[in-house]
Amino acid sequence: MNAAWLAFDALLLAGILGVAWAAMAPGDAFRAIVMFMVMGLLVALAWVRLRAPDVALAEAAVGSGVTGALFLRTWHALPREAGRASEATAARPAAPRRLRLAAFGLAATLTGLLVAALASLDGTAPGLGDAVAARLAQSGVSNPVTAVLLNFRAYDTLLEVVVLLAAVVVVWSLDARPAPRPVPARGPIFLGFARLALPVTVLAAGYLLWLGAFAPGGAFQAGALLAAVGIVLLLGGLYRPGSGDRRRARLAFGLGLAGFAGAGALTLGLEGAMLRYPPAAAKTWILAIEAVLTLSIAATLAGLFLGERSAPARTGGERP
Amino acid sequence: MIPADPALAQWPAALVLGPVLAAVAAFIWPRAGAVVGLGASAATLAGALALALQIHDSGPIRTVPGGWDAPLGIAMYADGLAALLLVMTAGVGTAVALATAGAGPRQGTFFWPLWLLLLGGLNGLYLAADAFNLYITLEIVGLAAVGLTALSGTPESVRAALTYLLAGLMGSLLFLLGVALLYSAHGRVDFAGLATATAAGPAVSAALVAMLVGLALKTAIVPLHVWLPAAHANATPPASALLSALVIKGSLYAAMRLWLAVFDPAAALGTLMGLLGAGAIVWGSVQALRAPRLKLVVAYSTLAQVGLILLAFAVAGDDAAAVAWRGAVYLMLAHAVAKAAMFLAVGRIVAAVGHDDLDRLAEARVRPGPAQFAFALAAVSLIGLPPSGGFVGKWLLLEGSIAAGTWPWAAVIAAATLLSAAYMTRVLAQFFRTDGVPGGEIVRPGWTRADAVPLALALAALGLGIAAAGPLALLAPVPASGVTP
Amino acid sequence: MTTATALLYGLGGALLAGMALYRLVTAADWLRRIVAVNVLAVGVASILIATAYRGPAAPADPVPHAFVLTGIVVLVSTSAVALALIRLLHARDENHHDSR
Repeated sequence: MNAAWLAFDALLLAGILGVAWAAMAPGDAFRAIVMFMVMGLLVALAWVRLRAPDVALAEAAVGSGVTGALFLRTWHALPREAGRASEATAARPAAPRRLRLAAFGLAATLTGLLVAALASLDGTAPGLGDAVAARLAQSGVSNPVTAVLLNFRAYDTLLEVVVLLAAVVVVWSLDARPAPRPVPARGPIFLGFARLALPVTVLAAGYLLWLGAFAPGGAFQAGALLAAVGIVLLLGGLYRPGSGDRRRARLAFGLGLAGFAGAGALTLGLEGAMLRYPPAAAKTWILAIEAVLTLSIAATLAGLFLGERSAPARTGGERP
Repeated sequence: MIPADPALAQWPAALVLGPVLAAVAAFIWPRAGAVVGLGASAATLAGALALALQIHDSGPIRTVPGGWDAPLGIAMYADGLAALLLVMTAGVGTAVALATAGAGPRQGTFFWPLWLLLLGGLNGLYLAADAFNLYITLEIVGLAAVGLTALSGTPESVRAALTYLLAGLMGSLLFLLGVALLYSAHGRVDFAGLATATAAGPAVSAALVAMLVGLALKTAIVPLHVWLPAAHANATPPASALLSALVIKGSLYAAMRLWLAVFDPAAALGTLMGLLGAGAIVWGSVQALRAPRLKLVVAYSTLAQVGLILLAFAVAGDDAAAVAWRGAVYLMLAHAVAKAAMFLAVGRIVAAVGHDDLDRLAEARVRPGPAQFAFALAAVSLIGLPPSGGFVGKWLLLEGSIAAGTWPWAAVIAAATLLSAAYMTRVLAQFFRTDGVPGGEIVRPGWTRADAVPLALALAALGLGIAAAGPLALLAPVPASGVTP
Repeated sequence: MTTATALLYGLGGALLAGMALYRLVTAADWLRRIVAVNVLAVGVASILIATAYRGPAAPADPVPHAFVLTGIVVLVSTSAVALALIRLLHARDENHHDSR
């Protein structure tokens, strides 16, 4: 084992733990959120070290990026003026000693149990890696993670799309009185950034989608990138939603599931089993489903961020 | 077990996909929400009944929705237990949907997509034969349930929904942790493979504990129950009915299935579950006796009923006491029907009287007779008096505990009956008292269409006691070898 | 856990989970609680990925990777709902304050 790599891993892990602790500390919420996003990126790096680049991409894009954006959106909507206590961020005194002791006990138990369980594993369970490798050729793609997600365990991915849909239905069902959303200062810097970065991001998303068949990438990562494009367009006022856009957005949310289910119905007719792709054309089927999924995921993530209706930003007193 | 007929083989997946696609339609075209919702619910009920009949005739069905079989792919398994719960979900759900559709647009258009997503998720849960698949269905059910909780829009319901979401999220993460540990120990996550895997070490025990604690959070097993009273009591009546009757059963079933089909838990763990159940019975009943609001009484009674069902984990040690499991499942079924009836009836009462403050009910001038009657009938089943489904369930549970020679649990069951009689009587007494009414004039509104569904459900709860042979025949193989996919 | 790297990151995941649970119980506000839950999920995911590691030369087991990917998407969906509820709760509180 290369000692230099081990030292790197140890340092990285220390960094992750330190940043994570800072991310959850009481105090400045903005700082905590930024620390959380940094932790997400460091964790992605750690997962690359563990030979999980697809997941690292997803963690960076979705786990750190989209989630961080959601946190910042919420932070923006919460009161910051001193003396205005609200339920959501009430400045309560530090937790009482007994609670902290109990929490420490719980945390220590959890970590202890996990460490004991992990230490007891001696790697005798081979896992399904060999089974995947044996059938990879029949799956139509050469990226094993994509093969598992879109072919071997496609039913799970279908249900995952249902989870996304359920989330956006719930978020849109919550009250019509919207929280104000942040608006970036639309000066030359922002417009210049948008003009350059957005088309490149769209290209990158398409590339990631196509790449997923044989290298790290795929629909979820690409969808997250596209969602970012959509969010910037809408937040920055570069695109103002028209009256029919809400119905179109709902259509887009449902598109992924409908497409996936439609593919299932077609394969049922062609091959006798749902989502069993014709072996010769498996790659085409997978890419087609992933393309539809990418668009739908992008719309859904943007819909989760923006909500159904967004009020214009509060006038005056904008945060730096 | 995999049926040769391809149409039959895809039936289970259709029960999941159908409602979910209908949810998409109800979301995109809100004005057609009620039509789509009712149609999909009725179609799912028909499908579930057909599946149950098929299983009754030819035994369990195991299908592979993706073309790749376990352990690499995912299998779905439908036996008598799953079929019974599928019919329960679709049946009670269709009834609640009817009540909602009849009540007019007050529920808002989001009820339909949320309910249909819940239906699809629950169906997927009952048909799951793969631990990770089970995790995702738990998530779908959880999110839809949170949406239903917050549907009324009041601040209390929003707070309750947030607490419920956090508890559910913790439960899901613990469950996922269990799946991770199982995979690292056994290299697979399908129930059939896990059941036959021989390696049992700290990792597997940790997985069992993690998954049970996670499911306990979702099922509101005392002491992890804090979210339930507020969530169920502050939701709209149809949402409360769905939450108490159907959502709770999902995670409870998951615990049961894992206990019976995947793990080989120690007897001590069963006793612990039984003790938790006894605690839930006592705590839920005491809180129901003290609760100031009618809806809170009904919510706390759910806690107590879950505790009663948990006793089966302690009682059913060996095959002689296996009848206790059938009792537990029958209790789940009877409770679902009765609780839905109760919450819908309470909704009618609150609509007529204007509040649900128990102490002031005796002073109300309006006495909604049909709704109160439906409540009383549902209470009969919840207490466990003959002839009702609740009685059959309790009887089987009692039979099991006597057969196993565990008299203390039999005493707990008897105590549960007495306690539930106490808090139900407390409510019924308020219905009949007229001394507090100013002026002594009582208005008794007659029958309305909205009273039909609660009454029908309450009668069904009684019917489950009379016509128990059919459902019990489906459950006959539980828990012997017929449970493992 | 056959390699030191995997063991190291697995332990790291366990520590993350413990830290997050502690912060979850002692958190002062809802936002901090949701952050803690996300960190907890990252801890669990790290454990999964660490157990899938097969050394620097061999490809890792892709099934846990698929699990984690699905888990990340599920978590962002749930977090979005939680944060929307928190925003709504704040808006209601504001309403109460304004109307008083």
